[in-house]
Amino acid sequence: MTPPVLLLGALVAYPLLYNVSLAFRNYRTGEFVGVHNFARAFADPAFFASLRATAIYVTAALAVEIGLGLALALLVHRTIRSGWARTLIYLLFIVPMVTPPVAAGVIARLIYTPTYGVLNAVLRALGGAGDTLWLSRGDTAMFAVVSVDVWQWMPFVFLVCFAGLQSVPQDAVEAALVDGAGGWQLFRLIEFPYLSSLLLLVLIFRFTDTFRVFDHVLVLTGGGPGATTEFLSVYLYRIAFKFFNLSYAAALSLFVLIVASAAFAVLGRFLGREVAQ
Amino acid sequence: MRSRGIWRLLAVAALLALAALYLFPYFWMVLTAIKPLPEFYRFPATIFPEHVTFQPFVSVMVARGYLTLLRNSLVICLAAVAVGLVVSLLIAYPVTRLPVSPRFRRALLNWILSLRFLPPIVVVIPFFDIVRHAGLYDNPLSLMLLYAVFSLPFATWMLRGFLLEVPLELEEAALVDGATRLRAFFTILLPQLAPALLATAVITFALSWSEFMFAFILSATPRSQTFPIGVASLVTQFEIIWNEMAAVGTVASAVPVLLLLLARRYVLTALTFGAIREKA
Repeated sequence: MTPPVLLLGALVAYPLLYNVSLAFRNYRTGEFVGVHNFARAFADPAFFASLRATAIYVTAALAVEIGLGLALALLVHRTIRSGWARTLIYLLFIVPMVTPPVAAGVIARLIYTPTYGVLNAVLRALGGAGDTLWLSRGDTAMFAVVSVDVWQWMPFVFLVCFAGLQSVPQDAVEAALVDGAGGWQLFRLIEFPYLSSLLLLVLIFRFTDTFRVFDHVLVLTGGGPGATTEFLSVYLYRIAFKFFNLSYAAALSLFVLIVASAAFAVLGRFLGREVAQ
Repeated sequence: MRSRGIWRLLAVAALLALAALYLFPYFWMVLTAIKPLPEFYRFPATIFPEHVTFQPFVSVMVARGYLTLLRNSLVICLAAVAVGLVVSLLIAYPVTRLPVSPRFRRALLNWILSLRFLPPIVVVIPFFDIVRHAGLYDNPLSLMLLYAVFSLPFATWMLRGFLLEVPLELEEAALVDGATRLRAFFTILLPQLAPALLATAVITFALSWSEFMFAFILSATPRSQTFPIGVASLVTQFEIIWNEMAAVGTVASAVPVLLLLLARRYVLTALTFGAIREKA
């Protein structure tokens, strides 16, 4: 049991230590430069712009995914009773979730492309102008990349909440209904307390995933227009593999690692209870 | 009661609308993939192609040589799944069957889980440097290794969940009868685990299949490029050939979608590391 674990530890720990050493050295000459690369981050407007873009992306995606997913779970839970219909819904929503993000990017390209895109075609058919350059304007490009995330991952929130709702004890629900609780009260007083820990789990999963978003952005906007959708991973990629400044990229990546670790620490406390079986 | 019926109708209508909205992008991609280009450029464009053609698939797979990328993806992902399964069994078995201290068990499982939350961009920068120095740049080996490591959180946690469900009695009986642990594992436990191993393999294969960033940065030529890299390079070239792009997108998503429809009962369990037990 120990050899595989040690090997694994080495496989992950070594690159991370390598990162630290890269960050304190000049990549080309190998000389020690102290905190130069970290100091540089504080004077780098592009870094702050990518932070801001990431914050917008994370907030928008999380809010829409969790809001819609929860609402949809409640809707299905209370209206659809038959087993086969529930299975059908499950199958329908699992498909976007397992689609490779690059393929989701392709789909989005076919939708948002200005002249031949299907979105503008639909808008034209509805009598609109249908001439929006979705991917060439900052606000609409941000909308486009967030919409792909929502399409793929709202189902995840929905399925988790839906499974959670099914585990709410039926007698508690019936007691509340007998006491004359309405739909909203039923949710607030009975169902939500059951869902809250699952929602925390979903929140952490989605936060870590949106925070490091890369794949579909690269094929959909490439970080553009300008740097509107240049999120953290996209910016780090550009520094490391376009400007080839591995040291600066390593320094910035340590910041990304700290944020991800903080999110995981919260999750670890939460899942730790499950592990202690 | 009557108003409830109306609510139900409204809810079902809303769900149907949402379902249509959800599947439409997929249909559009597939329809574009089997459409001759002139029809795509027509104003207004045809929805269903007048002349169905599979030319886009042929020209991408054969003329552009994407069959090679498909083969790379298959080889890399299968190798990664095999290695990942063996290693995760080597971890999950002792954790569930041998007397290890609970603190060590928790630390180990949590550490494995933390791999799932490690942003790839953090690891890929040093990895790129290490791999180049080791002469493994643009070599399928480095991707196999990485995919195997990053399949561990899912594989280990899934197998642990399955192992906890297999009762100990049979194994213990075998041990009492004088079988070694190894023999009990191979003759008693492994046959019971077979379906679980298959489900785990399918899910980790699908996840590796979809991976983009590592492949994008660590491969350069058709020697090691995976299929998603082929997809991206069609999308980012100067002049996009729309039906070909749709065709590669269709192939790229068909593989994981079909696989996961097979293993659908385990998908949510895998993605939430057992926090959700599936009933679908």
